[in-house]
This record gives sequence, C-alpha cells and structure tokens, in this order.
Amino acid sequence: MNGHDEHRMEDERSRRGAELSSEAYFARTVEQSVVAAVLRAAGPTRRQLLAGLGGAALAALIAEVLPLGRVTAFAADPAGKPEKRDLSIGFIPITCATPIIMAEPLGFYKKHGLNATVKRAAGWAMIRDWAINKEVDAAHMLTPMPLAITLGAGSLPVPFYMPAVENINGQAITLHIKHKGVQTAADMKGFRFCVPFDFSMHNYLLRYFLAEGGVHPDKDVQIRVVPPPEMVANLKAGNVNGYLAPDPFNQRAVYENVGFIYKLSKEIWDRHPCCAFTVSKEFATTYPNTFQALFRAIVDATHYASNPAHRKEIAAAIAPTNYLNQPVTVLEQVLTGTYADGLGAIKKVPDRIDFDPYPWHSMAVWILTQMKRWGHVKGDLNYKEVAEQVYLASECDRVAKALGYPTHTATSTKHTIMGKVFDPDQPEAYVKSFKIHSMA
Amino acid sequence: MSFLQVDHVTKYFPSHSGVGQVCVFKDVTIKIEQGEFVTCIGHSGCGKSTLLNIIAGLETMSEGGIILGGKEVAGPGLDRMVVFQNFSLMPWMTVFENIRLAVRAAYPEWDRERIAAHVQKYVNLVGLKGSEGKRPSALSGGMKQRVGLARAFSIEPKVLLLDEPFAQIDALTRGVIQEELVQMWMTTRNTVFMVTHDVDEAILLSDRILLMTNGPGARIAEIVDVTIPRPRSRDTIIEHPHYYKIRNHVIHFLVRHAKGAHGGAEGAIESAEAGDPLVVRF
Amino acid sequence: MIGVLRGQPAGRLDTWIISGTILVIFLVIWHLATIRGAFDPRGLSEEQLQLMEFNGDIVRLPDGGYAWNPEKEKVKGVPGPLAVLKKAETELTEAFVKKGTNDHGIAYLVFYTVSRFGAGFLAASLVAIVLGVLLGLNRSLYRAVNPYIQILKPISPLAWMPLLLYTVKDPKWTAVLVVFMAALWPTLATTAFGVSSLRKDYLHVAAILQLSWIKRLFKVILPGAAPTIVNGLRISFGSALVAVVPAEMLLGELGVGYLSWIEWNNLDIAGVIFAILVVGVVGVILDSGFNKLAGLVTYQE
Repeated sequence: MNGHDEHRMEDERSRRGAELSSEAYFARTVEQSVVAAVLRAAGPTRRQLLAGLGGAALAALIAEVLPLGRVTAFAADPAGKPEKRDLSIGFIPITCATPIIMAEPLGFYKKHGLNATVKRAAGWAMIRDWAINKEVDAAHMLTPMPLAITLGAGSLPVPFYMPAVENINGQAITLHIKHKGVQTAADMKGFRFCVPFDFSMHNYLLRYFLAEGGVHPDKDVQIRVVPPPEMVANLKAGNVNGYLAPDPFNQRAVYENVGFIYKLSKEIWDRHPCCAFTVSKEFATTYPNTFQALFRAIVDATHYASNPAHRKEIAAAIAPTNYLNQPVTVLEQVLTGTYADGLGAIKKVPDRIDFDPYPWHSMAVWILTQMKRWGHVKGDLNYKEVAEQVYLASECDRVAKALGYPTHTATSTKHTIMGKVFDPDQPEAYVKSFKIHSMA
Repeated sequence: MSFLQVDHVTKYFPSHSGVGQVCVFKDVTIKIEQGEFVTCIGHSGCGKSTLLNIIAGLETMSEGGIILGGKEVAGPGLDRMVVFQNFSLMPWMTVFENIRLAVRAAYPEWDRERIAAHVQKYVNLVGLKGSEGKRPSALSGGMKQRVGLARAFSIEPKVLLLDEPFAQIDALTRGVIQEELVQMWMTTRNTVFMVTHDVDEAILLSDRILLMTNGPGARIAEIVDVTIPRPRSRDTIIEHPHYYKIRNHVIHFLVRHAKGAHGGAEGAIESAEAGDPLVVRF
Repeated sequence: MIGVLRGQPAGRLDTWIISGTILVIFLVIWHLATIRGAFDPRGLSEEQLQLMEFNGDIVRLPDGGYAWNPEKEKVKGVPGPLAVLKKAETELTEAFVKKGTNDHGIAYLVFYTVSRFGAGFLAASLVAIVLGVLLGLNRSLYRAVNPYIQILKPISPLAWMPLLLYTVKDPKWTAVLVVFMAALWPTLATTAFGVSSLRKDYLHVAAILQLSWIKRLFKVILPGAAPTIVNGLRISFGSALVAVVPAEMLLGELGVGYLSWIEWNNLDIAGVIFAILVVGVVGVILDSGFNKLAGLVTYQE
C-alpha cells in the first residue's frame, strides 16, 4: 500500500468516525507549540519539569501567565484588513512555483485584497538572501529550505514558516541523449549530476534513488549545484551527464533534443512535496492580516491549479518573458502530462505534476531524516518539534476550510518511498536503517 | 645696507654615499644695489644655479640669509621672480593666459579689463602681438622665452632672477633676445641677478660679473666691473677697448678653474683662499 | 577603391566601402551556413508530427499545414542573421514597454545599466582623483600607501561581490559598488603617479606666484596631471564596463547584462546575440563620449 492510498483511507476514516474540528485541533497545536517552546527554554531541567508536572498541568500553569486563548484567537483572526497591501514575492522560474506565479496574472492576489508582484530570482542562494534581508515579503523556496534556515544550516538562523506546499511531484531525472541505454542506478556510477540546491527535495530524492540502487551519492557519483535555468545549457555543453531537476527543465532538455526523461519523480515517491511557499516568522507576526490574506490567495491558487481542466490556461499565463520565459508548448506538456519523452514516444501521465498545499508534518520529518542521513545537519534533532514549528499544517487546513476546500484529520501520516515505508513516529530508527549514508 | 644682500650663505648637500655632507659653496656674500644688473659666471656644477634658487626661495640654505630691502626673506615670493632655463610655461595655457596667471597673482585687486590691458602691453613689448592665443607647443624656443620674460617683467618684481635664460635658444636668436632684454631692462631698471656661462652675454648685459670657483666648497673668487658705458649693443661693445680685456680675463679664469674642476692642486689653493673676492677693474 | 587594393592610402569614402563590404560578406556567409529548406511533412506519421510539434521543431499553420518553427530557427544550435534581426525588431518595437516586474523594454534596461555604471564610475573617479592628488603631493604618504594599492588593484571586482552583498545587503547598491571597486584602482594609481611626476618647474612657478592651494590645485596640478589622469580614467572606464554586466547577472538586477543572462537561460541564442550587440553599442557610445572629454584636456609639451 503506497502513501497515496494511505492518505485517502485516513480521510475516509475521519469523515466517518470521531471528527476533531479544525479549530480544536489548531488550538491544541498552538498549545503544544507554546509548551514545547517553554520546555526548550527550560533546557536541561526539562525532564524534571515534565516528570513532575506532566504536559497538561504544565499547559495550565503556562495559561496562568500567558493567555493561550488569546494567542490562539489572535493567530486565527479572520478577514481583518491587511496592514500592508503592496507585496513583493520572490520566485524561481520553474513550474513548481506555478500557484505563486499564476496568482498574479490570474488575479488571485487581487481577489484577496493584495497588490502583490512576483520578482524573479537568478538562483536559490539569491532567493534565500532576499528572504533573509527582507528584499521580498514572501518567497518561493524548496521544502527543505525553511527548515534549514530556521535551524541555521548554511546561513544565519532565522525562524521561517512554511504555510503551504506549492507542488507535489513535478520533477524528473533527465539524462543526456547519449545515455539512452542506461537501465538502473548501477549504470550511473561515475556520472556527474546536478541539482538546484543542497537543501532540496531534488537532492534528497536523487540520493535516495541512487542509494537504493547501491550507488553511494558522495563516493560513486558527483553531484553539483547549478541554478535550474542553467541546467539545460550545462547538459548541452556536456558538463553534466544528467540531473534531477524541476520542470520545465526536464521537458526543455527534450525540446532542445539533448536529453530524455529517464524517470519521473512520482515514480520514486508519488505525491512527494517539492517546492514551498514561505514567509519569515517576523513577517507573519508583524502583519498577521496580510499574512492571512496571502495565505488564502496561495491556497486558493493551489487548488485552482490542481484542477486538470485549468492546466492549459495556466501554461499560457505563466509562459511570457515576465514569468517563466519558456515556450508555451513546453509548459503545456509539463502541466497537462501529455508529453514527448525524448526517446520517440508520447506519454500520458496526468499527475506528472500536481498541486496540493497541505504541508504534512511527516514530510518535514522525512526531509529532516534525510538531512541527518547525508550530514547536512548534525547532532540530536527533535524532529517533531522542528517540523511542527515550521510547517503550518493546521493553519493551512483552517484556511482551506474557510475557502471551501477539503481538509485533513491528521498532520502526520506514513509515506512510501520506492517501496519502503516511512513511519514519522520512528525517525531515528529510519535514519539508522540505511546502509548507505554519510553520517560520521 | 645694499638692496639685495646674500649674507654669508653656505649650502651643504647630503653626500651620495649617504655618509656626511658635501659643501656646495661656503660663506658667499654678495651685495647688490638697487637697479644693478649682476651676473654670476662659473662652470657647470659650481653651484651658481643653486645659489640662484636659494635667493629665489626655491631651495633652502644651510647657513646665512638673504636680505631684501632691509628685511630678511625666506621662501619664494612675487618680489623675486624667476625666468627659467627651460621656460616653465604652463603648456595647457595660451601665451596670454600664462602671463595673466602671474599678473592676477601679483595684482589681485585689479579688475579684468585692467589685467587684460596690462598683459597685452607686455605681450606687445616682447614682440608677440598676434600670438597671444597660441599654446607654448606652437612656439619656438626664442618665442617661449620672450613669454617668460614678459611674464617676469609684467609683475614688476623687486628682483629679477635669470637662470641661464638663453642656454636653450639657438645662437642666432640668442643675440637678438639679449638685446631685447637690455632694452626692456633699461626702461624698468629692475635689480637683476643672472646666472650664465656665456661670457659675451655677461659682458653685454651686466654691470658686474661675479666669477665663481668650482665646487665642492665653491666661492666667489673675483668681481669684475664691466666698465663699458650704456647703452650697449652687440656691434658697438666689441669695439670698446675694455671689451676684450674683460673677456680675456674672464676666459682665463674659467680655463684656470677648468683644470682644477675635479679637485686638483690648483683648485685646492684657490678655495683655500678665504676673504673677500678680488675686485677687478679695467 | 582599386587603388586601395594596390596599396595606396585610402580616402574617407574608400574606408567606408571596405568596412561595408566586410560586413556584407560576413552576413552572407552566416546566412548561408544556417539556412535550410522548407519543411516537408510527407512520409511522417501523425504521431511523429505531433512529437515534432511537442518538441517545438515545427508549428501548425492556420491553414493546417506545417512549417519549421521560426522560434527555433537554428542549425546546430546557431541562429541565422534573420532570426537575430527578427529578435532585434521585436525588442526595439517594445523598447519602452514595461510588461511586468521582470520584463522591462530594452530602453529601460539600457537606462538601468548606464545609470548603474554611471553612478559607480563617477563616484569612483571622484574618490580616486581626490585620493590620488593627496598621495601624489605627499611622497612619504604615497610610499606608505602604495603597497596596499598594488595588492588590491588586481583583485577582480566581482570577487568583492559576495562580501559587499553580505555587508550592504541591498543588491541594487551592491551592483553599483562592484562598478565602484572596478573603477577605483586604475584611476587612483595613475592619478597619484601623474601628480607626483608633474614637472617641478610648474610647482615652482606656482610657489613664486604665491598661488593659494585652491588655485594651485585647479590651475596647475590638475591641468598638469590631466592627461595622465584621463588615461587612468580610460582604463577604469573599460574595467567598470566589463564589471557591470556580470554584476547584473549575478545579482539578478534588471539591465542589459541581466537580459543576456535571461536569454541564455532560455537558450534563445538569437536573444543572447542581440543582448551582446546592445552591450557593444552602449559601450561604443559611452566610449566615444569619453574620448571627446579626453580630447579637451590633453596638451602637448
């Protein structure tokens, strides 16, 4: 049973059985976050604290000093006037950011009372700097990035929120056309790959795929970081043998007659998260109404994009030079899933890319385990706590509910990646279960 | 008290090897009256240009002082204007602008018209009317020095210092300019101190000629009175009976000192003689 | 004209004719190397045609027929001169249009690049000339500071970029500062040299005339050192022009450099060629303006 079916079953169960209202669930999550924060601040004495009091009692104690009710209410203030109307949102010109980008030409920002413009960045490091330096109010990022920035890996630690996932699936492993005969990962020993960024689903999926095939990503192949728009040029020039990249650069390689699509990312982990919509914690707390309006616009746009009937329209809207600057036919092939695969066939995979905003905590935990696995993050991690701080799952559901979209009953679930099940409640065991890793 | 007095001036330079000092000249005293034209002659390297620069304030003396009009002077000033051997005209300025720079500096309270008229007067005086708008690069050596002279005369300095002014001008033009200089000076009668190694020039122009020995440790050995009446011109002075007496005397002096130029025995004897220079009058 | 070929000196008209002929020959060769015949759909199956359409090799015409895709007018990846011309036409007709935050017309881009370049270059020239004069006039200070200048001078201005971005944080100012760093050193070094090697005579005249330091600076020192300073400015100018384009690429700031990078990302080689030509033209215009300035201040000794 793969992760896809599991989600469906969970939803069914919740609809029939004891249903926790989103409000109550949200309140509990806020409570838990505050308690967790207090416990963390308590440091080494935390065990004694918990042993003596227990979670609920501690929460009650905190409520005496900090009105938790007000905190929840404040965070949940509906439809207040946005404090700041003119926003700048950074994006990288890839199809993963479709909801963020299309929200401008298709009027979703306007619809929710905002005057937002989308600003194109040259690469992920640039967008990270823009976000940290407040050049932009919100940014399109890779799903591991807000975790990394909050933890201070690769930059100053700045707390970030990821209220929504942009897209699921939507990547592929593309190889140079001369490697037509490659069958398995083992055939790729000695290859040079590129990925958009170290802290990216692309990197972690590629490494997972290679490791499952017995190839050590740090020893048997080279993985380089190249900004997505430059990947096709690099493939053409022969600097790399292939890449695991976001679209449209896989389709573009086919379009340029230099590459073929070896494997779609959905074949590695169906419905995996890819890119994210993020804001800094400072922005969300300083402009809560603006944040809510922006959040609604994004969730709205994301659900609109997930409808297959809208895909062609969207492709035409985001193709011009101001946004993706790609030929419309390339984007259509990616978004509709009817595409040329570079080996002379036309394939039909409708959910080659899909859009679902819900930021499962379990996805965050999976990313954290992979970061630990490859040495991007060292030391003991409280996986759940970090995931819950950064990925605003319950918030997202609240917004979805307000807009009339389906919601979820849990924030964590099991996922299946290349046939192996991942249990988010056993992260350490999962990390230790891999033969190939780069931990000390 | 004479108008311009070089009072026991001594100059040392740090020696080449870095150890100790070299004495260029020692205890030089010159008394020049107002309106006098005095020339200093000596071999190259005897220090006469250094002496001129010290009077001009462009170099410092190690001992002694310069007294002008009863007051000690130090550093350069508009009262002692120099005419340079290599003309020293600003190449980015025209003839007119070069002279005007000096006039403006000397008479800051004048207005534009007055300055322009004054400049033009001196341009005409040196015979460069019509060439005011030219840049120095378009002028011959002779014309350039005429500008230099115009510049110097135009500020009516108390003392005019001429540093081998015609050395870089061809021989034929040189004679012409020398006479022009005499004409100009006859009307203004500035006090002039000139340095040269052209004997004929010295006799034509000066009232007295100072003969300087060679360095190191040079001194003024003799002062020759030029007893040829003014006005003088090149073709008349050579007829005067004193001309060749003076000329030969000076040349003998120079030849004598040429042998001793590198510190030979005769030179040593000469420089050992202290005391006032010998006055020679024919 | 024939006389020129025989080795006689060329008149004005002759030089134009020769230049023109070279250009025409070049364009003709380029065109011939990149043309191909009309598209013939016979012998290809429906699926193959759809594949070619997907790959953008061909487009469907309004009457149902097929033709080679003019957007993909390339042979072995190189577009022909007509494709570049067409691209130039589109860009120039939309020169003054702003189609969105990330797509401004070429006139705006040129303006951004030139203003960025101008700001950095002028600021650097001012600072360099002031510092250079100070160093040129003070021998011991010059000797003390010179080693640092020599070490910092050869550092590529783009190497400063990460440090500048980190401290300044604003990419717009960082781009200007990169240009500043490129333009500072050559002018500083040559100004200091020019002032210190100014003929002492001029300074003597200034001293005798008792010129105030302002008069001395503006009437003697600066005009005297001007040809050397202008040479330094010329080197700085070229250095700054070279630096502004990659600075824009790395910082993602709108401008002509940004344009060529964007076209490259989109593998629109015709666009890249067009952008390069624009950079070249802008450079030529700025350079000739500069030469006029240089002509005003040179003098012959």
